[in-house]
Amino acid sequence: MEIVALSGGIIALIFIGLNVLHMVMGSSKENRCLPLFPLETIFISYGIGLGFISLEMLIFYLFGVKFTVYGLLIPWVVLIAVNAIRYVAHRDKIVIETRTTESEERYKFLNIFLISGISLEAVYAFFRALIKPIESYDAVAIYAIKSKIFFIAKAIPETYFPILIHGFPHPDYPLNIPLSETFFYIAMGSLNDQLVKIIFPLFFLGILILLYYAIRRFASRTYALLFTFLLASIPHFNAYAANAYQELPLSFYYFSSALLLFSWIEDKKSLRPLVLSAIMVALAGWTKNEGLMYCAINTVLVLFFSMRTIRKDMTWKTLFAPIAYIVIVGLLLLPWIWIKHKFGIANDEINLANLNPVYLFNQIHKLVPIFYELQKQLFGPKKWILLWPVVIFAAALNYRKLFKGIRGYISVSIILAFLGYILFYMISYVDVVFFASKTWARFLLHFLPLLVLWLAYILKEDVKI
Amino acid sequence: MAFFVRELFIKNNIRDYEALISRTLEGKHAYVTGDKLYGFLSHCKEIMPEIAKYKFVNIEEGSLDRRRAVYYLYPRVEGKDPDFIIDMAQLMIKKAKE
Repeated sequence: MEIVALSGGIIALIFIGLNVLHMVMGSSKENRCLPLFPLETIFISYGIGLGFISLEMLIFYLFGVKFTVYGLLIPWVVLIAVNAIRYVAHRDKIVIETRTTESEERYKFLNIFLISGISLEAVYAFFRALIKPIESYDAVAIYAIKSKIFFIAKAIPETYFPILIHGFPHPDYPLNIPLSETFFYIAMGSLNDQLVKIIFPLFFLGILILLYYAIRRFASRTYALLFTFLLASIPHFNAYAANAYQELPLSFYYFSSALLLFSWIEDKKSLRPLVLSAIMVALAGWTKNEGLMYCAINTVLVLFFSMRTIRKDMTWKTLFAPIAYIVIVGLLLLPWIWIKHKFGIANDEINLANLNPVYLFNQIHKLVPIFYELQKQLFGPKKWILLWPVVIFAAALNYRKLFKGIRGYISVSIILAFLGYILFYMISYVDVVFFASKTWARFLLHFLPLLVLWLAYILKEDVKI
Repeated sequence: MAFFVRELFIKNNIRDYEALISRTLEGKHAYVTGDKLYGFLSHCKEIMPEIAKYKFVNIEEGSLDRRRAVYYLYPRVEGKDPDFIIDMAQLMIKKAKE
């Protein structure tokens, strides 16, 4: 019975996400943009659904409303009705990509091998997640305890932000995943912290699907499968699909936002992918504090691109794009930022006031342990197999291509993410050796899918499949 | 293939999976927490009313066992004026004011 309720909850979330997606991307024949593949549509909808239902729960708290399944789902009827009216009146809909595989399969056996490998990795991720209840350190101490509090109260209790939250580690961590877990507990009617872990391998699968289709847009099926298999088989990436940590949800939201941003940069015809990118990156900020850094990185790219094109193309769209991006991200994060401000909830490890040249100069000594711990990750095959040496080798051989076209934007995103994490370490109060040794591997996961996509772009002319 | 061999046999995860697969949710909680500690925490839950406050002794502040105990014991919470003292080394619970 719980499995049926859980499945119903997932379907409901996907349907809500699909309606948000339709609201943003649905357009009439004259103005169609970015066709999405069916599986891409489902997983983007899943991510949006999860993020929007948890934001809705936060807004319920502001109005003192209790959580019930019907109470949480009914407000979405308005959106569904608006979409239905739009469809009937203007035939507005999401464009679904209908391109099929080439009839001539040159690498049939290689494809079968790669599909089998990816499927095995995915099945193992689900198995590994669902065989155990939530038990790893952060998952229990930071997130699951919060979802238990919300489930028992069937609300975010009034005393939660002023009092209760201070009894648990990291009160400032965003609540997307704890509230999503609460939604599933409410749907199941029980605190089944084993089944609720399905959230995480679904994000794992979503990332693989997004990566596959992102590569498929510029390369063959075999080539896309090869890089998807590469990502799926990275032990550290697979392990985080099962431990109920927030790294893969963050990675999913950031990766999807980056893909949509790059498609807007390439296409420029419509602002719709940019709007969706802003929504996805805001949900990254609503998943983990590190997501705020990705909001900043994407905003920098939008500003940079707009400034570059404004000389050639002085249209309202070019001027409006960065403003729209910042406003959408700000609006979605506003309730959470306001609550944090109201109750004085701050991070106890990092102080953004330290982000000044004098303080940073005094912290230069931290660079040694930061880079020492980083190189241990990059050259240690246990977690990443040979990914990082391959990345470094490919970058060295193809340095002329690194900053050309869309590859340049991906390269800049990755460099900014690296710099952002180095800054985190510099301004943190935590002992840098301890902090870097515990967190570098996790931080690298946040932009790992983008790194694999970048590798696929860089090697496109070298690997002829 | 190498990944699965390492995952299942070298890391010996297969032993965990074998033990977990036939257990109930409660049994799985007990397995991942340690049967003895989980049994003790279940006993604490029976003794303490849901509104009770407790204080841990003989356990490191940031340890995983402590975090799991806080999770399992909720809605009972840690408090400065506790109703119960929980000794995590001896696995004993007693009323704070007797």
